[in-house]
Amino acid sequence: MKITTQQMMNILQVLAWIIFVGVCIEAGGFIFNTFFTLAINPIDAGHFWPGVDLSGLYGWDRGYFIIETVLMCIVAILRCWIFWLIVKLLHDKKLDLYQPFNKEMGRFITRISWLALLTGLFSWWGAKYAEWFVQRGVKMPELQYLRIGGADVWLFMGVILYVIAQIFKRGIEIQSENELTV
Amino acid sequence: MPIVVNLDVMMAKRKMSLNELSEKVGLTLSNLSILKTGKAKAIRFSTLEAICKVLDCQPADILEYREG
Repeated sequence: MKITTQQMMNILQVLAWIIFVGVCIEAGGFIFNTFFTLAINPIDAGHFWPGVDLSGLYGWDRGYFIIETVLMCIVAILRCWIFWLIVKLLHDKKLDLYQPFNKEMGRFITRISWLALLTGLFSWWGAKYAEWFVQRGVKMPELQYLRIGGADVWLFMGVILYVIAQIFKRGIEIQSENELTV
Repeated sequence: MPIVVNLDVMMAKRKMSLNELSEKVGLTLSNLSILKTGKAKAIRFSTLEAICKVLDCQPADILEYREG
């Protein structure tokens, strides 16, 4: 049985929805737990998220705890945004495989590239902070548990997508010129 | 764009409708309309040749360069 492009797109759409819901839950959890720890119960820092014990950081300095959790929240929100754009693109059927060089796709790739660059930047910032805390003797969880690992991968993806977006812009121009050639 | 398409002028001179020209030249109405309204970004030599042949005119009668 041969899998058609349309079937592949449907599978991708379902996967994108599942990942989007997952990252939304994560972002919501981070935001809620940050406020809960700061405003209601500081003990919550100990079980901030599965595998994330930030009680050491909270005990060491409340300000740095806020910075680190805000960075984690920003990265989580940016990831949600990226997957929202992917879900929206697949859901609205804006991915036209017969005429892929349209303005909508160009805008999509440019936005994703900027979001990936920002995610990489904030992840890197958060990771550097975490390293600095560890050097100061603060007990910190692994970066992968803080969901700020892989900053280099995000940055690499952002740069590659940015280059593709620039090529896409030229593709849109050529396609529009081709359509308006009589 | 400073290139002006005077196709409508030539069509009026030859008393030819868009439908008739479309049939004789072998272009679709929508493509002819793009050309007539000045939305076209390029014109093939083969198209220009066919239009000139049907309207019995020169390329300069259809295309004109106007500053500004």
